[in-house]
Amino acid sequence: MFAEFTEALFSIFFVETLINGLLLGGVLALLSLGLNLIFGVIDVVWICYAEIIMLGMYTIYFLHVDGGMPLIAAVACGVGVTACLGWLTHRLVIGYLLQAAPINQLLATGGLLFFFQGAAMVAFGVEFRSLGVSLGSLALSEDIYLSWTRLLSFTIAAGVVVVLYQFLARSYLGAAIRAISQDREIMILMGVDTKKLYLLTSAIGGGLAGLAAALLALQYDVHPFIGLSFGPITFMICVMGGLGNMVGGFLAAFVFSELITIGGYFAELEWGYVMAFVFFIASMFVRPEGLFARKS
Amino acid sequence: MRSLAMTRRLIVGLAAVFVAFAMTAGAQAAGKTIKIGVIYDYTGPLAGGGSDLQALGAKIMIDHINSQGGVEGYMIEPIYADAQSKPEVAINEAVRLIEQEKVDMLLGFYSSAQCVPVAAKVDSLKKFMWITTCISPAVLKGRNLKYVFRPQVHGAMFGELSVDFLNSNAQSKMGIDPKKLRVAIIHEDGPYGSGVAGGNEAAAKKFGMNLVLKEGYSATAPDLSSLVTKLKRKRPDVILHTGYNPDISLFLRQSKEQGLRFKALIGHGAGYGVVDKLYDTIGNDIDHVFNVDPVSIWLLDPNSLAPGLAAVTKKVGDEYEKAKPGVTVKSAHVGMAASNAHVFFSDVLPRAIKKYGGIDAESLRKAALETDIAEGGTLLGFGVKFPGAGKSDMMGQNTRASPVVMQYVGRKVYIAWPKALQTIDPILPLPKSSPYAK
Repeated sequence: MFAEFTEALFSIFFVETLINGLLLGGVLALLSLGLNLIFGVIDVVWICYAEIIMLGMYTIYFLHVDGGMPLIAAVACGVGVTACLGWLTHRLVIGYLLQAAPINQLLATGGLLFFFQGAAMVAFGVEFRSLGVSLGSLALSEDIYLSWTRLLSFTIAAGVVVVLYQFLARSYLGAAIRAISQDREIMILMGVDTKKLYLLTSAIGGGLAGLAAALLALQYDVHPFIGLSFGPITFMICVMGGLGNMVGGFLAAFVFSELITIGGYFAELEWGYVMAFVFFIASMFVRPEGLFARKS
Repeated sequence: MRSLAMTRRLIVGLAAVFVAFAMTAGAQAAGKTIKIGVIYDYTGPLAGGGSDLQALGAKIMIDHINSQGGVEGYMIEPIYADAQSKPEVAINEAVRLIEQEKVDMLLGFYSSAQCVPVAAKVDSLKKFMWITTCISPAVLKGRNLKYVFRPQVHGAMFGELSVDFLNSNAQSKMGIDPKKLRVAIIHEDGPYGSGVAGGNEAAAKKFGMNLVLKEGYSATAPDLSSLVTKLKRKRPDVILHTGYNPDISLFLRQSKEQGLRFKALIGHGAGYGVVDKLYDTIGNDIDHVFNVDPVSIWLLDPNSLAPGLAAVTKKVGDEYEKAKPGVTVKSAHVGMAASNAHVFFSDVLPRAIKKYGGIDAESLRKAALETDIAEGGTLLGFGVKFPGAGKSDMMGQNTRASPVVMQYVGRKVYIAWPKALQTIDPILPLPKSSPYAK
């Protein structure tokens, strides 16, 4: 047993595991960015966020595979569609519930989750669909290969965090968004049109869902229930990083993914998830506001 | 005059009531029905993983039987219910169909995770249950269920056959002594995957093979990269895989990207049985992969079947194409459910009505226990015989069912094993054209 553990630890494949953890972290970080932004500004958790990603995946699939549109153009349209969905979600649902009890807000977005799933099933059927695009892999050695799709996800996630951070830190709109996330009531008294800012934030969050959709569509089959595989993990990452804290969420995604891959490497795959969930529960006891939350 | 008109109207009215009453009574006399609750997953991940095709096969057969005038004066009245890929929903739907819809029996079930609890529940309610699909041994093993019957092959048989196939071909095809063959078993961790993997492991140990890894995983896991890395470290010659979908396509995709190489991959039904979709999602990389399943009914030689069955096979195929236009490779799933439903409607139900006088659970049970169909007597080719009371630890399991090993080559399905049914000399190891070739 110990010999097996030592052999696994000093094997070249442990290095591959660590790298795979980082790359999976990139995917999860990208998924959590939009959700975190929306919560940070509007203070409402979109339980249906992964389903917006699913609709983005369908958009890209149909435009590229059935419509023959170049992949980049299809991705751009996918981002546009999910940005509109984000805008509409706030305009038609969340906007009316800003003063409602948090449980009612959760129930409303939970209802949207089932609505999006059901609508996708009725419209597109239950079949699994694939973009049929493979970016291949990068061979580091005879034994170690890295998926280009995951490398791309990692790079884009890191790039988006930097761009978003700069946007929030340096632009006028970003400053307004940060201000409103700090005090929603006072901003209204200062003459700020909060409604517009909420809509803009929802559209940006939706657009980020489209970006995540593009990278997921390269790695996973599209089907109406794909959100179930990612929704709960994305939510947990946001909570672990400190809801609304984008940098915290970004870092939490890597902690989570490394636990999954390292645990899955040394024990059975499922133990990786058990380790990650146990760590999450323990972290909630130690720091209920999130591991990387700023002290208020 | 006025009273005469009133009397006439009264007589006409009474006559109308009488005619209406007579028509209703006549309709009731001629319209005996057996109400059957049909449960599959029409939504959720299992639907696209094969359950909707199984549901289609059962529906085609029910419609076919009704179009032939029913069974011994009984028309089939199906009530279709969606288990939503969730065991708890399957249990609730089974109870609802029995207690509220008052169905006479249940038929269907794709997922073993649903079958295990539902079978026990239905048996305790003393209702008849005819399983067309789910294969886990745990559904019946050691439970002594009275009213649950499964004409389908069970999971351990799947697991044993793939290893038997390897044992017989490793030396001649791959030049490897079976005792030195490095075998890895990976499976979804529900009753289905665990049951098949148990059969794999027992047979591999029996033949003295080198079992380098056996591991389960959740079918909804968003990442399998650690599993692929472990497989790379263990360097198996052959991978025995049991999964649903989308875990199968995720595994194949990540294996390709991470450079996993092997000499053969053998799947065991479910997601591996949806050939058309595998080619759509994985492309030609799926070429030369093997799949263990009951044979696709369209691959059997019609002359090997009992008279009349070839026409039924053709009818099922025609209806399949009507329901799913553009299908290029017919999935074994549709034929499997159609055949197993056909056994019930053509053998068990007529005997229950004629010999035991009804469609209650007891009559259906007695009729099922007397089923004795020889090889070639079903659309799937195998025979049907259930063990007598107390004669097996798997009561209700068809003892004459057997799967085959199929191989996918160029979007076509061939029978690779057993030798007697071969339509292809199995291509082993994977040719160099495969991205997984070792």
